[in-house]
Amino acid sequence: MSHSLHRSGDIESQKKDFVWFMYQTKGVNDKNIKPKMMVYINAAERQGSENWGDVKTGPITRFDPQDIKDHITDKSRIRGVFTKPEQVIGFLKEVKEADIDQSCIITGVFSEVIPCCHAAGVTPHSINYSLGVWGNKGILPDEDTLAITTMCGHHMIPPKFVEYIIDQVDKGRMTPQEGADRLSTFCYCGIFNQVRCADLIAEDVEKRRNKKDE
Amino acid sequence: MAQIISEKCVGCRQCQKYCSVDAIKYDAEKRKCYIASDECVDCYVCMRQHVCPRDAIQPVEMDYYQQFCHTMSDPCENHGVTGVTGRGTEEVKTNDVTGRVKKGRVGFCIDVGRPGAGCRFYDVEKIAMAIAAAGVKLEGPECTPLAALMTDVSTGKLQDEVLNYRTLSVIIEGNCADEDFPNVMRALQKVSGEIETVFSLGLIMRVDENGYNPNLEALDDLGIPRPYRGKVNVGLGKPLCLD
Repeated sequence: MSHSLHRSGDIESQKKDFVWFMYQTKGVNDKNIKPKMMVYINAAERQGSENWGDVKTGPITRFDPQDIKDHITDKSRIRGVFTKPEQVIGFLKEVKEADIDQSCIITGVFSEVIPCCHAAGVTPHSINYSLGVWGNKGILPDEDTLAITTMCGHHMIPPKFVEYIIDQVDKGRMTPQEGADRLSTFCYCGIFNQVRCADLIAEDVEKRRNKKDE
Repeated sequence: MAQIISEKCVGCRQCQKYCSVDAIKYDAEKRKCYIASDECVDCYVCMRQHVCPRDAIQPVEMDYYQQFCHTMSDPCENHGVTGVTGRGTEEVKTNDVTGRVKKGRVGFCIDVGRPGAGCRFYDVEKIAMAIAAAGVKLEGPECTPLAALMTDVSTGKLQDEVLNYRTLSVIIEGNCADEDFPNVMRALQKVSGEIETVFSLGLIMRVDENGYNPNLEALDDLGIPRPYRGKVNVGLGKPLCLD
């Protein structure tokens, strides 16, 4: 799975977007992991992780965080989102200190993520580098839509629903943040960045209005 | 697989905007919606969002290959062999423990159909066979779901029966020696012009403390922009593999 890897859109916007994961290795350290997951969740909550979830239950934007915690099993996968480097640094320091043998991953723009690693005293081991999209790109939605839909790398967010939300915001029926929160419920993993999404929706609506005025 | 029970559908068309691949169609003559079974990827977004006010969208029984496609398309499902949700592979996320991609090797994580285009397995086969011929050792079924559909993991050939099936995306995984890396990238550049769909390409490498690997230099010669984002495994897993 590489669902946090290939986010697109303006790089400056991507710089405010960090995905964190805890990952167990099958057959090595994947039993009785709920206490370890709680270490990660507690650290993420202390740092103000804007969204997080377990794919087996869903994200905090749709479910009560306590419900998600109560339903954690060895098959769970927890992950979430930060929007600021300080959060990433604090989170990494805390999970390093806890020393609980689980793999930890941060996805984001290298110019932001690598300095966070240095500041937290952790050393990158391996990287899955995003080389972007190849092939028949003419069949894809426009770049503005992709900047939103790729925040759920499993592509659970239908492009037509993004169009619908932008239309609703444009008509004043919801705010950009309400639209972003609604879109975040499609991503069961909890890695959708609804803070960044609200900014993108506001920009898209402005573009649309400017186009109408032309 | 999902279907819309025609007798229950009131033709409100609310469901159409919830389809990840535009497979919910409207029959203007009958004033009913229906799911184009050849285009549906069984992601179940329409069912999980409970979009139908009449509960007309229902799952239907799936054959073996449809079940595979559903498991790939729906991230809530765990793959039966790897035990992993999402697209069913741990890839770089546990490389600090598994050492699947070691120093001197480059890992390939080719997500065919992403973002959101979907793919048929004949395109998946084309890509897998192209990189295998160029020097990639494809991952086996213990690590990656796609291998279960291969008749020969050394060539990337898939079972003929699956070639026309469609899924939201599926990952081809493998790795090659550093010296074969430029050749594999050239093979990917060539095959990317021969497929109907798209793929998102991830390259997995062991890195230094600054996130660098010398193989990145080869991208310049191939005219491929250097990556600016990625998934960084920060090396906290244990036992730590330093190979």
